[in-house]
Amino acid sequence: MASRTVAKDIITLRGSAAIVSEFFGYAANSILYNRGVYPEESFAKVKKYGLPMLLTQDEENEIVGKEWLEAGKLQRVVMVIMSKATKEVLERWNFSIETDSDVVEKGVSREKSDREIMREIQAIMRQIASSITYLPCLDEPCVFDVLAYTDTDVPVPFTWIESDPKLIANPQMVKLHSFDTKIHKVDTLVSYKNDEWDEQ
Amino acid sequence: MDPETEFLSSKRQTGNEWELFKENVRPLKRGRNVDLLNHALKAHTNDQLKKSLLENRRRLIEAIDEYQGDDPLQPWLDCIKWVQEAFPPGGDFSGLVLIYEQCVRAFWHSDRYKDDLRYLKVWLEYAEHCSDAEVIYSFLDANDIGNTHSAYYIAYALHMESKSKMKAANDILNLGISSNAQPIEKLRDAYKKFLARSMRRPNATEEELKEDDLPVRSFGTVLARGESQRQAIKTFELGRNKLKQDQVHRTPLSIYNDTNMDVMRGHHSKPSTGSNSWHTLGGRAERNKENNAMPAKWTSHKIPQRPVPRIVGAVASSQIEVFVDEECEEKPKVHDEKDRTSSLQLRELDGRNIKKETELLRENPLRNFPSNSLPR
Repeated sequence: MASRTVAKDIITLRGSAAIVSEFFGYAANSILYNRGVYPEESFAKVKKYGLPMLLTQDEENEIVGKEWLEAGKLQRVVMVIMSKATKEVLERWNFSIETDSDVVEKGVSREKSDREIMREIQAIMRQIASSITYLPCLDEPCVFDVLAYTDTDVPVPFTWIESDPKLIANPQMVKLHSFDTKIHKVDTLVSYKNDEWDEQ
Repeated sequence: MDPETEFLSSKRQTGNEWELFKENVRPLKRGRNVDLLNHALKAHTNDQLKKSLLENRRRLIEAIDEYQGDDPLQPWLDCIKWVQEAFPPGGDFSGLVLIYEQCVRAFWHSDRYKDDLRYLKVWLEYAEHCSDAEVIYSFLDANDIGNTHSAYYIAYALHMESKSKMKAANDILNLGISSNAQPIEKLRDAYKKFLARSMRRPNATEEELKEDDLPVRSFGTVLARGESQRQAIKTFELGRNKLKQDQVHRTPLSIYNDTNMDVMRGHHSKPSTGSNSWHTLGGRAERNKENNAMPAKWTSHKIPQRPVPRIVGAVASSQIEVFVDEECEEKPKVHDEKDRTSSLQLRELDGRNIKKETELLRENPLRNFPSNSLPR
């Protein structure tokens, strides 16, 4: 069987944190765009991950700072879509993070092809855009919130406040692809409200 | 542990058929259950699964007939939901349009369900499958169905907007607001969006829209008809004319037709010359001529049962057996049944008949209704 040598790149903790943090920014924008949370006009097209991606113009696009990631203290990032009128949680985009603690503690680095990481991220972005296949139509104005699950011993910047998890009762859940930098592994799950035909 | 954490830590996976075959899936407003979707997508190529699909359908149809409880609409909804899940592409072979039609016809004169949101939703979904849903909205209006719900006014107004009848759309939304339809906030919000769109309208040309090269955002374009029909507004009114009229023959413009939604076929059978004058009586009588001429029962229209091989059609597999022939009595829940609304009869239809019936219903959604129920 033929073998293929894939050029590997060195991934450092900082580099990985940067990749993951950037991913969250683009993923959040993709969700905001595809789910119609912000109007189309607020987005501009950029090239990223080999795909046309969209970013909002006037907002800070770093969703989660890199410090938590570098410290290995970030466990999960959840993007919540809620009804503007009722604050009911309609969708949750759940990104769980596993960090290689060896890397954090000992400062070693890992090897993985950058292109492969990019392909993995690309697969997730494609799935986010395709999720309209099964997600309920959001036909009311919605608001967007980001929740970060961290270790308890982490100092919290003042821009974040304590919150309840804003869960959906009896959610439908779909697991999407993951990506792995060999230092941070990110799993993706989207959960949404069950069908409401039966609601009176 | 909350269900999401549990799912994440379990390392369970979700099948990826939904993504592989996403072009074959018609999005539903209410969303879909992904496990059922994946199962249905697999079934089209797997005989074992197909058998279980057929079994399920049989069971659900029986459940409609055998239902003894006090909410006879429920088994219909179960069946409809199931057909939607089991036939992800929807389409003319799924029998979905037939079942919508039978469901709404079973209860149209029932006081019990006049204000039932679930019942209204069946009507609205039926309307989305028809070439010209206006007759449905008029019917609902004339029979006081669903007029306490915002969803009715929003759908009706969007439809009128798609025909460029902006004043009518405006009036409908206002009527809904002044009737305090619920939820009122949703209606007000829809009205605001409508006003914003109507202000943009004079400048929105097809060329302008084509230059928008952002990645296609499917949110809203399939399900929220107001937006998607911006492109087709100009061409909609000039569809083919079914009547033998010597009016100016307009060359049919190519109308953008999303393969999963046939509502834009533009079969405008009104004899108007393009101005908005309403030759209402003539038009309606012409359009409903099948009902006026032959107010016969559904059961008397027997389509000749030919033992033809099953048609492959739009669905990947041709082996799916369709509605089982079962003689069944209409439930005695119907009180003042002066006119025999047809008994519910799910006949044995092969793929071609389902398609034919579906096409007939799309063109004339109220063809099986007794003529005295139709709006004048």
